[in-house]
Amino acid sequence: MKTGRLSRIAIVVLAMTFAASLASAQLNSGAQTIALNATLTESLTLNLSANAVNFALAAGSAANAGSTNITATTAWTLKPGRTAVGVYAYFTNAAAALTDGAGDNIPSSAFFISDNGGASTALTNTVAFGGANAGLQMANVAITGLNKTSSRTDVMAFNINLTGGTLPQLPANIYTGTLNIQAQATP
Amino acid sequence: MRLQAQIGKVATVVVIAAVLVAVSAAPASAQVLNSGASPIALQAVLNTSITLTLSGNAVNFNLVAGSASNPGSTSVTATTSWTLKPSVGSLKLYAFFSSSSAALTDGAGNNIPSADFQISDNAGAFTALTNTVPFGGANAGLQLSSTPILGNNKIGTRNDVMNFNITLAPLPNLPASVFTGTLTIQAQAI
Repeated sequence: MKTGRLSRIAIVVLAMTFAASLASAQLNSGAQTIALNATLTESLTLNLSANAVNFALAAGSAANAGSTNITATTAWTLKPGRTAVGVYAYFTNAAAALTDGAGDNIPSSAFFISDNGGASTALTNTVAFGGANAGLQMANVAITGLNKTSSRTDVMAFNINLTGGTLPQLPANIYTGTLNIQAQATP
Repeated sequence: MRLQAQIGKVATVVVIAAVLVAVSAAPASAQVLNSGASPIALQAVLNTSITLTLSGNAVNFNLVAGSASNPGSTSVTATTSWTLKPSVGSLKLYAFFSSSSAALTDGAGNNIPSADFQISDNAGAFTALTNTVPFGGANAGLQLSSTPILGNNKIGTRNDVMNFNITLAPLPNLPASVFTGTLTIQAQAI
């Protein structure tokens, strides 16, 4: 009986020893980490379908349409926290949006834009860019979780109204100017 | 006192640190993001123009031999409208014939010269067409009006009411006949 008991003890010890030897056969290295850094740069771009518009003016007329429409395509990829994208049209000087260079000017209040078929509106507001009272906000896009990357198009139709103030007396000449279109994401 | 100063310094450092932490924690989007400005070149052309229209295109005269007074059957109003450049100084209106010696003729060698044809413009004095003007024959014209073009009338309009007369006092031997001719009215900006 005593011998048998010793034998069982010996078997248990051997088994434990064998298990220990099996465990020590698996060898692991230390864990090496790789830091990942992916940057999606914030961007806001605006492209125009054309860069020139001509007008054949009729003295004293309210309707002097531009020769062509222009489409502004605004595309953006924004960071969280942005709440709006605005699209603006503006001149640098409200009093002389177009000029003949001889002191005769067409003010921004006589220059109208219809955006996407909407009402024709004069550039008489102070906006984020350009001169005081020389701009127009054409669009305001609310940025939500669904459109942090997106785009929009604004089809602009132009008109010059020569009925206001002294414009009926505008002399015959060539009047030139630069209209700027620009977008801004806020805040 | 020294302890109070030290406490003050520590408080200052804490406030500055808090501000720095707040600033660094602010989102990058606190600055607005602008696209580039896209220019559109605009060119608007208001062309120069002068138009002249007449209220009538025919005047008859019942002539009395040797008479100084042979008025036309009707007055004619010339309406001149213009859109001019800043460089224009004046707008002039002229009446003229192509030949001073034969303003009207019977086609048989008997003529009424322009010197015997008179126009009263806007009730002014009757004046013969004896000047050389930009249009027509030598000594066959009359400047009816001259309008200075200033800052306030580069676009404008005016009326000239013309009354006509033929004096036959210098032509007492003109034979009876039908005399016809063409008087032309024209404006010029210069």
